Amino acid sequence: MGMSIFRQIFCLKNLISFMVLLEHNQAELEERTLTTGGWASGSGSRATVETTCYVLMALHDRSGPARNSAIDFLLRVRNQDGSWPAFEGDDPEGCWTTALALIALRFVNAGFTGVDKSLSWLLENKGREGHWCWKWKFKTVDRAVQFNPDKFGWPWFPGTVSWIIPTAFTVIALKQWHACCGTERITDRIHLGIDMLRDRACPQGGWNAGNGIVFGAALKPHVDSTAIALLALSREADPVDIQALKWLREACVGCPSAFSLAWSVIAFSTHEDPALDHCFADLHRALFLKDSVSNIETLGLAAIAINAAEGKANPFMVI
Amino acid sequence: MNRRDWLTASAAVTGSALTMRFQRRRYSRDFRPKISRIAILNADQYSDKLDQLLFDGLRLFHLDVRGKSVLLKPNIVECIPEKPVNTDAQLIGAAAEAFLRLDAASVIVGEGPGHHRDTDLLLHETGLGDQLAHRKIAFVDLNRDELIKTRLQANYSGLGNLWLPRTVLASDFIVSMPKVKTHHWTGVTLSLKNMFGIVPGCRYGWPKNVLHWAGIHESILDICATVRPRFVIADAIVAMEGDGPLNGSARYLKTVVLGDDPVAADSTLTRFMGIRPESVAHIREAGRFIGNLQQSVISELM
Repeated sequence: MGMSIFRQIFCLKNLISFMVLLEHNQAELEERTLTTGGWASGSGSRATVETTCYVLMALHDRSGPARNSAIDFLLRVRNQDGSWPAFEGDDPEGCWTTALALIALRFVNAGFTGVDKSLSWLLENKGREGHWCWKWKFKTVDRAVQFNPDKFGWPWFPGTVSWIIPTAFTVIALKQWHACCGTERITDRIHLGIDMLRDRACPQGGWNAGNGIVFGAALKPHVDSTAIALLALSREADPVDIQALKWLREACVGCPSAFSLAWSVIAFSTHEDPALDHCFADLHRALFLKDSVSNIETLGLAAIAINAAEGKANPFMVI
Repeated sequence: MNRRDWLTASAAVTGSALTMRFQRRRYSRDFRPKISRIAILNADQYSDKLDQLLFDGLRLFHLDVRGKSVLLKPNIVECIPEKPVNTDAQLIGAAAEAFLRLDAASVIVGEGPGHHRDTDLLLHETGLGDQLAHRKIAFVDLNRDELIKTRLQANYSGLGNLWLPRTVLASDFIVSMPKVKTHHWTGVTLSLKNMFGIVPGCRYGWPKNVLHWAGIHESILDICATVRPRFVIADAIVAMEGDGPLNGSARYLKTVVLGDDPVAADSTLTRFMGIRPESVAHIREAGRFIGNLQQSVISELM
């Protein structure tokens, strides 16, 4: 009984502290809005799509001009073919940020109507190993990296092979938009993407950037890649996912990076994992170290993580 | 002309066209100095003594860095315990200190790790974050810097242009600081290959897979022709041999190699490693226009 009261007081104190932190974060993000709309990475003056998506998700419940100008920015820089570039002024080729922009626009109820074109672009785009010629090469000649080329996902940029993070984001975007625009083709690509993620897991659990084994050596998993891949695999109970969650729980202990911890909090929150409380406390601690929040992506992700952990809203949640 | 003659003539024309294509000059400028200079410094271990060692080593070159902005580009890839994967943090700190003592206007450390998106975490794990904070040296994550579309000064990859970080393009004096390693795809990873890390992940991915598909050797040549490192400080105190760049084993060379020509430095280092520099495609080709490959035009400073 006494312990329970103590825990409630402790949680309330933490909650107030987090609310203050969230308010502070959101105010700082709004202050750093570019006059042209959106947010730049680092100290740059050119808005990038990735940064803007995170910040837009972080400010989803605010009603200031920053949120609206971010939506305008995303709609303005969208390419003719429905894809998104990496940043304002980039070549109009489209890249992995297309999935992230779709997730962000849906989350803030932007009233985005051009989704079919963007989904088509995502479905046309695939890792180069998905082509029969390269598939054959990876199966026969090039065995340096061990993976099954029948299971392919999405590249960072068209014309290259599949990688974990772009595949995970695209699987999330397709799952989220499936409710309104689902087709058999979308369902198939979602399954293929999920198969690819599981195929490329590291032997010890979790994910590196791409393959788990290169030249016979197991690669070390990364915290952020693992957390993002787990978001795409939510509500699944595959042994690979379970092993990845176990690895992530251990990797987060003592992790000093607010960027990695924010992604982990979002992943634990999505999976309703008991490690959430501990990871959340570590994020809180990391955010108070000024050097850890020097970049705007981290500030945005931290705000998303706080909201997700409090059960308010999680932009990466798949219904 | 009968059918045999026609086939022979066609084969000859095709062969000549292909030969011309491969022998065509693909660079716009010859950067090779008349004489390249290198210095080989002995260092048993990573310690505070590196500060003085590097300062004395740099003074041998009489470098004019007064009032200039210096960018140190180390090789920071992944933190794997017991594996000498990255340029040592203490050596980077010592280099920064040495350039400041030579009156550089500013010294910045910049890197765009190939696979790791969480650069803060990597800086923490490698000890570079603490090292730079202690010495009050700024770090720029080149993966997320502001970008400028830049026309490549050579045409090996066929890419034509690359978006490159403003920090790199605005620097007066770029120093490539590789970890001396073997590499399963390029043979070695030295000062030229190290420049791969200036290409921004936010535009080319993590890893920079666009460049892999355009050809690793070819991309290295195009990058180095466009942003030629002015100086090299190579970390060979503990090098890596075998299955590099991540899973090789430590090789104690106990040496830091300095050089005012990246090709001369790389060819010297490959010889050190028991590899013929001509057998590494990008070093061989770089010897035609980026710097000097032949020992006869490389002078060792003592």
